[in-house]
This record gives sequence, C-alpha cells and structure tokens, in this order.
Amino acid sequence: MKKYLEIAKAYMKAQLIWRPDAFADVIMAVEKILFAWLLWSILFEGKEQIAGLGFQAMISYYIVSSYLFQLEKSAEISQQMTGMLRNGTFSKYMVLPVQTQGYFVAMEAGKIAFSAGIGLLATVLWFYLFRIPFMLIANMKMLLCASFMVILGLLFMAELNYFLGILTLKFQEISTFLMIKDNFSAFVTGAVIPLALLPEWIIEGMRFLPFYYVTYLPSMLFIGKCEDEAITGLYVLSVWCIVFVVLNQITYEHYRIKYDGAGI
Amino acid sequence: MKNNFKFISELIKLRLSHIMTFRLGFFGPFFINTSYFLVQLFAFEAIYGHVDNIRGWGHGEILIFIGTFSLIDSINMVICFFGVISIPEKIQTGELDLYLTKPVNPLLRITFEKVNPGAIPLLIFSVYIIGYGVRESGMNLSCASVIEYLVMVLLMTILFYDMELLLRCFAFLVFSVNNLMKIENTAMDLCMKIPGIAFYGIYKLIFYCILPYGVIATLPAQALIGALSAKGLIFGAAIACIFTFIALSFWTYGVHRYESASS
Repeated sequence: MKKYLEIAKAYMKAQLIWRPDAFADVIMAVEKILFAWLLWSILFEGKEQIAGLGFQAMISYYIVSSYLFQLEKSAEISQQMTGMLRNGTFSKYMVLPVQTQGYFVAMEAGKIAFSAGIGLLATVLWFYLFRIPFMLIANMKMLLCASFMVILGLLFMAELNYFLGILTLKFQEISTFLMIKDNFSAFVTGAVIPLALLPEWIIEGMRFLPFYYVTYLPSMLFIGKCEDEAITGLYVLSVWCIVFVVLNQITYEHYRIKYDGAGI
Repeated sequence: MKNNFKFISELIKLRLSHIMTFRLGFFGPFFINTSYFLVQLFAFEAIYGHVDNIRGWGHGEILIFIGTFSLIDSINMVICFFGVISIPEKIQTGELDLYLTKPVNPLLRITFEKVNPGAIPLLIFSVYIIGYGVRESGMNLSCASVIEYLVMVLLMTILFYDMELLLRCFAFLVFSVNNLMKIENTAMDLCMKIPGIAFYGIYKLIFYCILPYGVIATLPAQALIGALSAKGLIFGAAIACIFTFIALSFWTYGVHRYESASS
C-alpha cells in the first residue's frame, strides 16, 4: 500500500509543475455553468419545474456535476496506455515491483487529489457568484454516501479506462473506441444533462449500469435529491468496481504475453 | 484559380488512397461522428420532451435547426476539419515550415489535405433529420425557400470554417490553445441545443457577433421555414464576409510572425 501511496504522491507533486494549467482547468468549469444558466433560464421561461427540478436545483446540479466531471481525468489512462503499448515504452511499467493496474489507479488518485481541493474552492465560489442558495444535505449519512459514491465512481472510471487501454494489446488501434466512449460517457454519466430528463424506462435500465452513479446520482445527493437510491447505488457501484478489478487482472495476464517491448 | 482546383483534386486523390490503406481509419470518423450525433439527438429529445416550444419554435422547427447544425458540421468534417485542427500542432512543432516553403498557398493545402469521406453518412442522417423536421412542422416548402436555405448553408459553412481557423491561429501568439478549444466546444454545444432566436441582450451580441455560433444553424433554419427577413439575409452574408476577412488577415499576420519551431 505504501508503494502506491508514494506513486500517488509523486503524481500529485508532478501536477504542481502544471499548476497554471490545472488552475485554468478549474476556472474553465465556470463556462459550462454559465452556458447551463443561459440554456435553462430560456427553457424555464413560464415553468416552475422541469423533470421535478426547479431552476435553482438545476443550476446547483450543473455546478456540482461540473466539479465532479472536471475531477474525472481517467481518459488519460487509456490514451497513455495505448500510446505506450504501441510505441514499446510500456515496459517501464511492467518491470516495476507493483501491479500495473494499481499503478495507474494510484497515478489517477494523485492527479485527482491535487485538483479536488482547488475545484472545491471554485465550486463554492460559483455558488456564491451565481447567488444560488447551496442546498445542504439534511444529514451526515447522505453526505458520506455521496462522497463515498464519488470515490467509487472515480475508481470505476479509472478501472474502465485501464481495461480499454489493455485492449490495445488485442486490437492494436483503439483510438476510435476511445473517442466513441468519450462521446457517450459524458452523456450517460449525466454531465451533459441531468438523467432525470430521460424517460423513466431508460432511467430504470441505467440504474443497473455503473455510469448512473458516477456523476449523476452523487450530484443529486449533494443537492438533496434521490436520497432513497443512495445505499443501492453504493452496492451497485461496488459490484461493478470489483468486477472490473478482476476482469482487468485476468485480461492483463492473458494479453501481456503478446507485448514484445518493441512496439506494435 | 484553375491550378488551385487541379491542386485540390490531386490532394483529395492522395488523401483517399492514403486513408484506404487504413480501413479502420476510414470508417473511424463515421462511428465517432455518429456517436456524437446520437448523443446530441438524445440530449435534444430529453430536453425538448419537457418543453413545448422556444420563442414560437415547435418540435419540427427545432429538428430542422439541429439537423442543419449537424449538416454544416458534417460538411466541415468532410472537407476541412481534420486539416484545420492540425494547425496549432504544425505551428508548435515547426512542421508549418514544410507548408510555407512549397510553391502553393499553405492555407489552401492545410484546408483540403485531410478531406475525410467518413462523415458522409452523417451528412445523410442530417438531411433525414431536416426532412423529418419539415414533415413534423407540417410546412409546405417553396422552391425559393429551399434555394435561400442552400445559400445560407453555404455561407454558414464558410463562417464555421472561419471560426475554426481564427481560433487555431491564436497558436501563432500563445503556446497552448487548449483552453480556447474548450470555449469553442462549449459554445458549440450550447448553440447546438438552443436556436439563436432564443438569445437576448448580451448573449445575443456574443453569439451573433463575437462567437457567431448562434447564427450558424439559426439563419438557414429560418430561411427554410420562411421566417428569414431581408435584414437577416444581409446580416448572414455580412457576418460571413467580415469573419472571412478577419480569419484570413489573422492567418497572414500569424504567418508573418511565425519564427519556425521556436515561435
């Protein structure tokens, strides 16, 4: 565990080199919120509620979900892995006395830890600037559930991207898959629109999938909605994380022998 | 002019033979664009399933709007997108030298060298969505409105290209244009969801005159449904001309400023 902690620390420190970029990244989250404000102020004309959400709840949702979406940087894992597997530089991870899966998860954790703090401050600032009364969660239990769900969600996305990265060993060229995944993941995680806007039967189906619990449900929990789904969400997401940890281990062990260290 | 056409046709031939070598690369843009289009369509249906109309535009008109945006986007994808997006990298790595030292217009080559037929099916989907929107709104199309629509689509495609080029030319001045690209993406995402007629005040000024993504699909859609005034038509032509002038001037200025790999 100590080794992984050191990896996380090293990547967190590395983020400090690019602090203006990380800072700009966080600040840029405001443009998403601004545009959401504009979109929904037009759509809410003459309406009190849309899909059970009032205007302020909708903007609160966008502020929280923009923060969570900006935290999720795991797409870099698959891009980095595919690049290194193709050009033969992945060997440096294979010779390390740590599991590669653990290495990439720790790397992701280190990167997130750095931007989480700045992002949280920025999120509070956006609530203040947009004059949105932050709807505090009524009880501590929900706050803990939502926070734990965010951590599990980030872990799941890291695992998923690691899995896609390993697939380079099988398919060689996966950039098309990655772009398609990026297009869909923003939508199915609820970063584009709140999933509450979708028809009920689609939401029912999505409850079995992990993406529902990555951005959408934690954001809703943070604004005091969907509290009855919190515990089920934690169970579902935990199961998906375990499935992917095992799947990644098996897939990696199965395909790593195809890697010859000279690039594809 | 004749030489330029001959040059473009040679570039396209070379490009086609190149992408046919990598079959997945040929179909890749099709799958990527289709997934992006589907996501936009789902988002649109999810939002407008809860809203009856926006400033008088019903479901049919909004479908024409979104289909038109997608049409212009896919024309851009087929012709110049992959070439223009490579400009910042070419500037940073000094690869632009290879373009500037050839006896052809470097911008012409960059624009047409990465033509990609992978987005053609998306073009067909877009036309289908527009047709569905026309049927949904129950309007009768006149020949004049279709011609007016096609002219506006042409002008707005040029405007779209100008915006793409203009933002990427900032790479001549700064090291990274990543954050500008994020602004471009967010503005496009927004303007793909809301027709320009819904903007007001400062937003109208921004999305009609400064980042004119708000007019790109709105003016052609207005032309098709017969709601475009002569003033709107002149505005569309003027904004396309002004931005073409600004984009080309900025490109020329940038090339003069360019100091090879060290710029």
